[in-house]
Amino acid sequence: MALALELDQVSRSYGAVVAVDSVSLDVEGGEFVTLLGPSGSGKTTTLRLIGGFERPNGGAISIAGRRVDHLPPYKRNTATIFQSGALFPHKTVAENIAYGLRMHAMNPSLIRERVGEALGIVQMGGFEERYPSQLSGGQKQRVALARSLALRPSLLLFDEPLSALDLSLRLQLRADIKRLHDELQFTAIYVTHDQSEAMAMSSRVAIMNCGRIEQVAPPQQIYNEPANEFVYSFIGESCCLPVRIDDGAARDQQGRPVDIRLAEPPSSGAWRLYLRPSRIRIGNEAHGCANTARGRVRFTEFLGDFNRYHLVAGGLEFFCDRAGERQYQIGEEVEAGWDTGDMKVFAA
Amino acid sequence: MSGAQQVTSAGHRDAMLARPAMKFERLVPWALVAPALVIALVFFGLPILNTLRMSFNLHVDQRVYVPGFTLDQYWMLVKNPIFSGSILTTVKLSLICAFSAVTIGYGFALLVWIGPPLWRVGFIGLALCPLLISEISIIFGWWMFFPKTGLLSHTLLSAGLIEDRFSLMYTEFAALVGLTYLTLPFSFFIILSILDGIDKRLLEASSDLGAGPLTTFREVMLPLTWPGMLVAFAHAFIWAMGTYATPSALGPDTLWTIGFLVQEQMLGRHNWPMASALAIVLVVGVASIMLLMRRLMARGGRFHD
Repeated sequence: MALALELDQVSRSYGAVVAVDSVSLDVEGGEFVTLLGPSGSGKTTTLRLIGGFERPNGGAISIAGRRVDHLPPYKRNTATIFQSGALFPHKTVAENIAYGLRMHAMNPSLIRERVGEALGIVQMGGFEERYPSQLSGGQKQRVALARSLALRPSLLLFDEPLSALDLSLRLQLRADIKRLHDELQFTAIYVTHDQSEAMAMSSRVAIMNCGRIEQVAPPQQIYNEPANEFVYSFIGESCCLPVRIDDGAARDQQGRPVDIRLAEPPSSGAWRLYLRPSRIRIGNEAHGCANTARGRVRFTEFLGDFNRYHLVAGGLEFFCDRAGERQYQIGEEVEAGWDTGDMKVFAA
Repeated sequence: MSGAQQVTSAGHRDAMLARPAMKFERLVPWALVAPALVIALVFFGLPILNTLRMSFNLHVDQRVYVPGFTLDQYWMLVKNPIFSGSILTTVKLSLICAFSAVTIGYGFALLVWIGPPLWRVGFIGLALCPLLISEISIIFGWWMFFPKTGLLSHTLLSAGLIEDRFSLMYTEFAALVGLTYLTLPFSFFIILSILDGIDKRLLEASSDLGAGPLTTFREVMLPLTWPGMLVAFAHAFIWAMGTYATPSALGPDTLWTIGFLVQEQMLGRHNWPMASALAIVLVVGVASIMLLMRRLMARGGRFHD
């Protein structure tokens, strides 16, 4: 069976600025693939290339086995959910949803049936005669979703559809989209800069940076086995320790020795050690860890579920999280420890 | 005052205090519009009433007017083909002018709305130019453009597009071009302001849902810009109805617009009642266009509530 979407070395540049730099991506039917990256990483441009709102400078885009990169949006079997919703303000909810079906010359009774069905799916039954100006932000996005779903496209494209909503609504709609995907098994490309959104919804996440895809993998793999330093530092929180290793002894960048003991120190040279603050143990819990560092508490932050201790060891600064009451005071010397598996080492 | 009234409860006393305040609050809007209202009534209302009264006066013995009451002038408007014809001519000219101004203005506004940001500066600058020049200066410009020895004829001849020089001066076409040129900037700005309020993603959404460019224009752009087009049309129409200099200076001698006849009756024939009756026709015509537009707008704009 043909792939739902196939990007082959797709590029797009604006003058000297390369927005998308030979991106390749294969998506199978029923997958939920998220393009995640910082702003300016080319994720939205990639989505717009798939939707047909931009034309690539090079490469090939195929949807369900058919080359589409020469086709305008209205000849592609995709449906986009825009950040603003982009509902037609002069049409009612029902007319908005019927729009795409009418354009495909479907007969009126079937259109009515599909509109009702789509509204039911997004739990917006009874809103048929409302105008978009009479809906809340969340309701608008539900209608936009229904408008796209009603077409039953081979590919649903989400362009940061939740970023304009407030947090609680965002979480709720996120769960709704996830549930709909489980039920309807549509194929989706979802653009976001919100990593928790990407982690929660996706079957695979594509991390983008500077117009390139850095890694494509299921969320767990992205988090636990990042392909490179960018992915590691972009996903989740991390501490970075830039060190120089001389015969197994660690020094800071100024060359002063620091009290860090590594079980398996890398060869001599400059390295960046990355640690997840949630995996660093501190105080008594650090005893027996393969790797340890002694540091002084610079300041602490209360973050609800846990306290964050900012430690300084020589010229190195890092932080670790610990649940419960605040135990260490500013200026106190403490030991931090971690397992070798929880540390990533990248050459500086 | 009785003793019972002196021992009023606190709540009652508040209500007593509030009453004059409420009266004052009701007066505030009136106080705020009063200056404008006075100016409108004194400088627009009174002259129109005066003109209305004048249109019923008698015109005998070549005197400017004789106080009295007659409907002769209005009867003449219907009976005399010169007057009824001029009303038709003016309406026809204004309709074509308004239609051209809206169509061309829409085109330019669309270009500015969709095109790169630099176009916006350029086109807005161009559109402002005619507003900076007086109507008379613009007429002189056309006088150098339309005649046999003018720029248009010369350019077409040099380009080899025509065999012989020709003149468009003193034609209805020249009058129309002149009128359209005067009203075009306003149509452009009115429509551009409406377009700027439209989310461009709507065009993408329409295309995404399977509509080609023409369908998108019909289904999305036209309904959303309809109110702006009506305003621009009404504006151009009213302006063209009342403009006197441009059609007189560029059109043929036989192009008798209402504005031209008002001048002719007033200054040439010294028939003030007839001139006033013609002026009243203009005022009533313009007012009815305004009312019609309001009704059409109300119908088109119901999704905004």
